[in-house]
Amino acid sequence: MFYRQSIILFGIVTPLILSVLIIAGGFALKAKSVASFEEKQRLSKSADMDRIGALSIERDVSAKRPHLDRWSREMDRETSTVITSHLKEIGDMLPPKEFQQTAFERPTGGGTIGTSSAQNSSQVKLAFRGTFRSVQKAFLELESRMPQLQLQDLKIDPSSSSTSTLNFQVSYTAWEK
Amino acid sequence: MVAYQHPAGLNPLQRYRQARGILRGTSRAANPAWYQSALDLDFQLHLRVDGTRLDSRLYDRRSNQWSDGPKLTEELATDLSLVPAFAAEVIATAQKASAASIGVVLHIADEFATSELKPELDNPGALGELRTAIEREPKSVLDDASVSVDESSWRLIPYPAAGSDLIATTICLGRGWDGFLQELRKFGEERNFPLITRAISAPLVCLLALPELKTEALSRPLIAVLPYPSFTLLAFFNEHGDLRLLRTLQHRGQRRPTNLRHAASTTAAALELADPEVFLFRIGTEADPQLAADLQLVFPAASIRETEWASTPYSLSDAIEPQIATSLAATPESPLASSHTFTVLRTDGWAIQDFLPVASEAAEVYPSKGEMKLLRAARYSLLAFAVVTLLALGTALVGIANLVRQPEWAFDTSSAQVGKQRLGYVTSERSKIEHWENLLQDRSKAWAAMELLGTLFPDQSGFLIKTYDHKVTTTTAPGQSKIGFSREWKITGLAREEALERLAMLNTRDGISSVFDQTAARTGNEAYRTDLPSRSLVVNIRTLENGSYRPGPVDQTSQLVESTYPFSFDLTLVQRFESSDTMAITATKAP
Repeated sequence: MFYRQSIILFGIVTPLILSVLIIAGGFALKAKSVASFEEKQRLSKSADMDRIGALSIERDVSAKRPHLDRWSREMDRETSTVITSHLKEIGDMLPPKEFQQTAFERPTGGGTIGTSSAQNSSQVKLAFRGTFRSVQKAFLELESRMPQLQLQDLKIDPSSSSTSTLNFQVSYTAWEK
Repeated sequence: MVAYQHPAGLNPLQRYRQARGILRGTSRAANPAWYQSALDLDFQLHLRVDGTRLDSRLYDRRSNQWSDGPKLTEELATDLSLVPAFAAEVIATAQKASAASIGVVLHIADEFATSELKPELDNPGALGELRTAIEREPKSVLDDASVSVDESSWRLIPYPAAGSDLIATTICLGRGWDGFLQELRKFGEERNFPLITRAISAPLVCLLALPELKTEALSRPLIAVLPYPSFTLLAFFNEHGDLRLLRTLQHRGQRRPTNLRHAASTTAAALELADPEVFLFRIGTEADPQLAADLQLVFPAASIRETEWASTPYSLSDAIEPQIATSLAATPESPLASSHTFTVLRTDGWAIQDFLPVASEAAEVYPSKGEMKLLRAARYSLLAFAVVTLLALGTALVGIANLVRQPEWAFDTSSAQVGKQRLGYVTSERSKIEHWENLLQDRSKAWAAMELLGTLFPDQSGFLIKTYDHKVTTTTAPGQSKIGFSREWKITGLAREEALERLAMLNTRDGISSVFDQTAARTGNEAYRTDLPSRSLVVNIRTLENGSYRPGPVDQTSQLVESTYPFSFDLTLVQRFESSDTMAITATKAP
């Protein structure tokens, strides 16, 4: 009985261990491949969704990008300078008796709209004298050109010097970059 | 032929390799004859040597036929170079008879000596141990310390008779044919053909024929006289048929021992075997016809029975022992056959002990029968492991191949990052746009607020507006991403009689909501919509008599004259936007 242990060791146990190791290695490789595949599948689906999402957003964004660029350019300039410039142009379009700018102020501190948001803003206070419709037109034009202007308050009083004109005091919060 | 080494000198791996080599290079795993006794094989060669002649007979168990075997000569025992040719002839004969193996049984009838055991070993319970000990270390068992183990071989024979003085005796045979048998076995191994040998004592085998001769009921002691050319064996049995003593009488050149009758009678007397029945065996053709007459001098003639082989199954007179040896499986139906002695001699193999077996060192070179089976099982298990492993690997690889074939497998993971970055970029851009879209919404515009005034109080509707005060306030709540706000209008003025109905209408929820909705429709400004749950609208109009009113005619010129208006009013209007409203202000800074 000199051979029994050797036969059991090298003929049965060792092949069994090798077999188990190879099988374990094979299944470990498969498990790794499955994990890699599932990761790729996940990433692929994610990439597809990202691509579809990006295309959808891109479609939406591309339509609005010119506006954002315009707003961005508008807000790159100093608010008071832009208002002054636009008011001059607007004033040129209206009869002088019906639209007169009587005051322009830049009070320190933001209005309630500006202070409620973390976005940068400034305050502009204007005063006009003019007819209701002309001043309304002027506001329409100014606010169309400068959408960053948010009306803070507006007061309209009868003019003491003329029955056909009114006094307008208006405060704006202007969003800034 | 590969020279296999004794496994004791090999490490475990070398042992396994050698065992594998034996499995592959020999028929030991496939041919069970390698591990069988020569007497169990189907094809046997029985060689008989008695000092005067050498017989060679073949026996085919399958057909139960005897035939002449290859010629055996005395020189084969002394000149071993002649053995391979003899062995080749033996194997060729076996192969010619379509036998896968051959058992060579040497019946030694030219010597037979007994010697005593050490007195201290006279223990009936230790027979098994003594049987093993005498094969391995005869000197430890024998009383005579001067014996030479290189020249002789000893085997134990029990004395099963109750009340016997001795438990056993030992039979000694010379090793003269040992080399011959070794060479035979070696040749068989070289040819990978099982050539299994066995050297047995012919007189011991011949004794087993006594139950065939003594078929009557036992009533008297028995003496068996087995005359061989160089010695005569006397076997004494009690009245129960149990062996009491074996005694050998050497012929010393004579045809018969000179002291036969004296030895037989005195031994019988010493063993107290009264009136024994004497069986005189006739073995071969050289038996002395005067033996019976000699014995009649001490035993009555009526007690002496000479063997009549014709009445037994052993019809070949020159091959008595071979015939007995090949028919051990069949137990004779006689009272003597069922005695304890003949039962153990036959079933325990005492009578057919191998005096010249394979040396244990030589036998240990090869794996045992059990180890060969284990080796074969290991071979099949290896195959099974390989198949299972291949199946498992195949399954795993097929699984991997199926994965690799999927389109997702070829997906470049770095492109996912690019897509994610692109999405992040456009999402950021969209967030930026949404941020500015929110901040730049028309939530509070002067021109629209003025349009509301015109909608509240149309021209020529009996109203004179004196003051208009509009302001926006936010409702800050910490931690919120969106901030709600309120828009408040305070309007004072004068009204004529016909305007009261409108004032009443404006002072209702539906009325004021209708005005806001009209303003929203006219200006396109969503801030004036009232149909959203996140918005609320509260109005309060207070109407008073105008203290400066002066009744009189009213015409176009009096439109701005305050005293022509009988009533004054003040209107307070508050529109609230909750933080959930689409126009709520984003609290964060632009991304």
